[in-house]
Amino acid sequence: MIKKTIKVINKLGMHARPATMIVKAAAKYRSEFKIRKDDMEINGKSIMGVMTLAAECGSTLELIADGVDEEYLIEEIAGLFSSKFDED
Amino acid sequence: MEKLAGVSVSAGIAVGKAMIIDRPKLVIKRRKIDESAIDEEKEKFETSVRAIYNELENLIEITQNRDNRDILKTQKIILKDPEFIASINKMITKKLYTVEYAIKKHFSSVIEIFNNLENEYFTERSTDYEDVAYRLLSHILDLKQDRYDQLEEDSILITINITPSEVTRVFEKNIKGICLEQGSKNSHSSIIARSMNLPTLVNVHGLTEKIRNGNKVIIDGNKGRLIINPDKETLEKYIPLLEKEIRKKEELLTLIDKECITRDGRKISLQSNIEIPEELDQVLKFKSKGIGLFRTEFLFIDRKDLPGEDEQCEIYRKISEALKPESVVIRTIDVGGDKLSQLLNIEHEFNPNLGTRGIRISLKHIPVFKTQIKAILRASLNKNIKMMFPMISTVGEIITIKEIIAECKSELDQAKIGYDKDIEIGAMIEIPSAAITSDTIAEECDFLSIGTNDLVQYTLAVDRDNESIESYYVPYHPSVLRLLRLTVENGHKKNRSVSICGEMASEKTYIPLLIGLGIDEFSVSPGRLLMVKNEIINCSYEKAKKIAEEALSKKTYLDVFNIINQEEDC
Repeated sequence: MIKKTIKVINKLGMHARPATMIVKAAAKYRSEFKIRKDDMEINGKSIMGVMTLAAECGSTLELIADGVDEEYLIEEIAGLFSSKFDED
Repeated sequence: MEKLAGVSVSAGIAVGKAMIIDRPKLVIKRRKIDESAIDEEKEKFETSVRAIYNELENLIEITQNRDNRDILKTQKIILKDPEFIASINKMITKKLYTVEYAIKKHFSSVIEIFNNLENEYFTERSTDYEDVAYRLLSHILDLKQDRYDQLEEDSILITINITPSEVTRVFEKNIKGICLEQGSKNSHSSIIARSMNLPTLVNVHGLTEKIRNGNKVIIDGNKGRLIINPDKETLEKYIPLLEKEIRKKEELLTLIDKECITRDGRKISLQSNIEIPEELDQVLKFKSKGIGLFRTEFLFIDRKDLPGEDEQCEIYRKISEALKPESVVIRTIDVGGDKLSQLLNIEHEFNPNLGTRGIRISLKHIPVFKTQIKAILRASLNKNIKMMFPMISTVGEIITIKEIIAECKSELDQAKIGYDKDIEIGAMIEIPSAAITSDTIAEECDFLSIGTNDLVQYTLAVDRDNESIESYYVPYHPSVLRLLRLTVENGHKKNRSVSICGEMASEKTYIPLLIGLGIDEFSVSPGRLLMVKNEIINCSYEKAKKIAEEALSKKTYLDVFNIINQEEDC
C-alpha cells in the first residue's frame, strides 16, 4: 500500500469534470483506490464518493492505493492534480 | 424574443402555441419481490443501465457544446459507479426491494448528501444525479401513464423526452411540432417524427426553463432553432415560408395515387427504407411500392441477448403481411462490431468503419447469421420477401452466403417447415471493390442495391460525420458517378435490377442524374416518398440521360455541380 498527500490547486476545486477525470483514470488500474479528506474516506473509483468530498481549492487530500499497480495509479492521479485538470 | 439552438431531426417550419407537458411524476411504491425473482430484478437493472449508457453515448456524439458534453460524460460515469451498482444489487438481494425502489432509495440518499454540502457549487451537482435517476426510472417503468390528454390541436409540444408510441399518439392529435430538451437524432422517436415530416427539434438545452405555457414559438427545423416569443419582424419573415411549405405539402398529398413514371414514360419503382416496424403506417399511407430496405439493426441493439428465430420471424412476417403483394427487401444485420461487442464478444477495434462490420460480422458468427436467414426464410411464404446482404466486398462472399442459405433451406426441409423456394437475394454495392467487380457479383445475385452513403464515404475516404472534412464529402464526385454507371451497366447486362437506397436518392438535385444513369428503383425514407415522386414524374428520361452523359464527361466535381444544378426542370 502506498500513500501520497497532495493539494487541490485548481481554482474551482474537485467539481464534476475533475471528478470524472479521476474516476476514469482510476478505473484503468486493478489496485484499490481511496481518497481521504480530514476524517472522511471514500472509494476513489466511485464518482459519487469523489464528488461528495467537495474538495475545494486549497484542501489537502491523501491518496491511498493498494494493489499490483498502486504506484502507477498514484502517479497518474497525482499528475492530474498537479496539472490542475487542464483548467485555469 | 429568445432563440435556442437544438438538433433538428426533421426539417420544416412550425409556428404555434407552446404546450409544456411536464415529466410525468414517477410514482414508486415500496414493493418487495419474491426471493426467486432476485436474478430477474438484477437483470432488469443491468439492462436499463446499459440502455441509458448507450443513450448517453449517442447524446455525447451529437452535442457540440463542451460544457453540456461534460455533463453528459459525468452522467455516464455515474452510471458506472461501482458503489452505485453494488448498492442497488445489495438492496435487491438483501432487502428484496424492486429495482425501481432501490434506485429511488439510493439516489435520494445521494442527493441528500449533496444538498447538505456547504459549498453551493457542489450542491448544484445533485441535478446530475436527479437526471440519471430519472432516465433510469423512466426506462424501467416504461412510462405508461397518459400525459397527453390536455394537448390541444395545433400546439407545439414541449417536453423533456418522448417515447416512440407517444410520437404516434401526439401526431394523431394534429400538433404542429415537437421540441425536446433531451433526445437524440437517431432515437426511434426521432425516426418516426422524421417519417411523419413533423418539424422536430431535440436536445434543446434549457428548453423547459426558458419557455412558458402559451408562449408563441417558431420551430425552424431547417436551421435547428427554436424561437420563443418572436418579434413582429421575425414572424413576418417566417409566415410566407410556412405558407409555402403547407401549400407544397398539400400538393404532394395529391400525388399518392399517381403512378411513378417519368414524363416520357419510363417507370421507376419507388420504395421505402425503414428502420423500425413503427414506420409501416407511413409506408402504407403514402402507398409506397414496397420496402426497398428493411433494416434489422433495431432487433440487435440495446439488449443483452440475441433475438431468437421465432422473435425475428414474427416481425418479418408482420411486415410481409402488411405489404403484400408488394415486395419487402430485408437486409441482414449491418452494424459495426462496437455496437454488438457485448452480445458477440467482439474485440475493440480502432477503426470500426474499416473493421468487422456488416456481412463480416455475420460470416464470423455463423450461428447468429443462420438464425436470421432461417427467420427470413420462414417468413417468406407470401413470396414477397427478398434478402439483401450489406458490406459485400467480393463475389466470394456471395458464394459463401449462398452455401449457407442452402444449408438453412435443407434444415428447414428436414423439419418440414415451409418457405419461398425461389426467394431472391441481392447484394449491397457500397464498397468500391464491389462496384468495380459488380459484373461478377451480378452473376451470382438476383438484384443489386447501391448504398450511396457508404459508397461515397469509402470511395473518397471521408467520414461523413466528421465536420472538419465536410467539404470532401461530395456524392457527385466523378469517381462516384463512374462507379454508379459501372454498377448499373453490369447489373443490366445480366438483366438484374439496380436500385439505390442511400440518402442521395432523396436529394432533389441528384434525382434526374440518377434516373439518367439508369437506376431502376429508388428507395427512400417514407417522409420523402412524395417529394421524390414529384421529382420523378416531372423528369424526362431522355433529358436525364443527357445530364448523366454530360456529368460523366466532366473532370472536376465542380463542373459536375454546375451541370446538375443548371437544369432544374429536365
